[in-house]
Amino acid sequence: MAKPTITTLLLCVALLFGAAACGPSLVIQDVDYSQPIESVLAPDANNEVHDQRYAIKFNISSILENEGTSSIDEIRLIRNRAGYYFVTANGFNSVYVFEPGENELKLKTEIELSEDGLGQPAFNLRNGNIELLDRDSGDTYNLDQNGRR
Amino acid sequence: MKKSLKISFSTLAAFLFFVSSTAIAQQSDYQIQQDFRAEYRELANRIDNAVSSDDLSDIVNDIDELEANYSEYSDLLNNALYPDTFSDRIDDLRSRFGISEENINVIEQLNERVSSLEGELENYRNQLETIDAERQDLETRMEEASSNERRLSALVRQYRQNIEQRDAFTSQFLESLIERYQSIDPGAQSEISEASERLQDNPVELIKTIIAEYTNSADQASGLEASDYVGMRAQHGYFSDVWGRIGDRLSETFAPDNPVQTEQEVSDLLAAWQASIDNKLWNALTTAFNQNGIELPTFTSADAFNSALNTYVDNAIDLSMETNSEEDYERFQNFTNYWNDTVKGNWGELITNGNVLSHSQIAAIDTKLSNWGETATPTSNLMFILFLVSLAVIIGLVVLLVTRKG
Repeated sequence: MAKPTITTLLLCVALLFGAAACGPSLVIQDVDYSQPIESVLAPDANNEVHDQRYAIKFNISSILENEGTSSIDEIRLIRNRAGYYFVTANGFNSVYVFEPGENELKLKTEIELSEDGLGQPAFNLRNGNIELLDRDSGDTYNLDQNGRR
Repeated sequence: MKKSLKISFSTLAAFLFFVSSTAIAQQSDYQIQQDFRAEYRELANRIDNAVSSDDLSDIVNDIDELEANYSEYSDLLNNALYPDTFSDRIDDLRSRFGISEENINVIEQLNERVSSLEGELENYRNQLETIDAERQDLETRMEEASSNERRLSALVRQYRQNIEQRDAFTSQFLESLIERYQSIDPGAQSEISEASERLQDNPVELIKTIIAEYTNSADQASGLEASDYVGMRAQHGYFSDVWGRIGDRLSETFAPDNPVQTEQEVSDLLAAWQASIDNKLWNALTTAFNQNGIELPTFTSADAFNSALNTYVDNAIDLSMETNSEEDYERFQNFTNYWNDTVKGNWGELITNGNVLSHSQIAAIDTKLSNWGETATPTSNLMFILFLVSLAVIIGLVVLLVTRKG
């Protein structure tokens, strides 16, 4: 009498695991999130920037605070193949790398490039990776979500 | 020495190549697309604002240069310009260029037409001024020569020739206007209308000047005869007819801001011209008929002239019926000769063109004349005498016969 009950119970558990395994296991690999050209965005009075083309909107106050400034004319934003956002601006010491999450951008890495501040930084996408060019100094940096490459 | 110099140059060239290639490598993609957009906008503006072939002459090369300079970034620009592409933008510039080139061709053709029209109008005006100057000179000389009948007669002949010359010239001008504007299509009318704003002179203004001159010459005319004034009425009739046919189109084309007012101004000038002719025409006609022994009742308009003629003929017919004299017949002959030889023969076309008498009015008088001819012809007494003789012979024979039997 106990044997069929155990068998039935085991069968039910197996079915439950099987059904659970079918749903979330669908993963698409090798997605290219890269943004071919950087976006140059002017913040509004609330320090919000809105990139209509690539459909992202966020507040840069915390970045400005980190850089020790309260306002800025424009920021430069680009996304690499892996999907990380790279943010910098004229006078910034660092490039901020953010990982997108649910309603959030989480700082992945702060890549410090200049103690005096970048002159005229510009992002380029090169083979899915990010190149930062300082047009004032002529310096070029190859970056990924972990830092300088 | 030479060799070391050559090496130095090679080193320098290699260095420059390195520097330039570094500079290219250090370009911002964002800046490239911004530069492309700026150059594209500048070219598009130049094309859109071009107003002459000269403006367009370099643009085609600049489009080629833009394409050549940025073709290596076409992938980058395709991404930046999405949903447009680099080639879309270059095609757009070429298409704009084509449209602009076409428009400029039309504008330049129109400019040529305007220049040609200006030239023609100036030519017409100059010739008219010359003719009018001649007329004024002749008028002065006629006044001076009023005592010398022979000389005056020669001057009057010259004066008539001058009037005929001007009539022929203005008729030619009006014919060219009819040819050009009677069947003008709305597109061309609108184009000329736009271009006419640049005209210093235009056909409507020239027509106004011509009419004013005609009015002036009619006012100042002296030493002329009925036939001359009938000719003026004919010329006025021709002008009125032409204006009736193309006046609205000319006003809309050359006075687009106030076509109704312009049309009215010309109509008023035409009325003034007719009044000036009529001031002298009716007197001249009365004199001409009187000089030929035809005493018409007084008339001061075309209708009254027709009534006067009809009254004269009707009265003459009544008189002929009453008296049937040789004198009536002579009066009939005189009127018929003058009517057929002078009025119909010499003035016929001018009289109808000038709206002095219509064809039907002339035909009505012709009918009355034939009636008058019948009543005016004197009846012969020969038949009556022959009848009396015959009767006497018959009576004589009857008396003779009765006498013999008795």
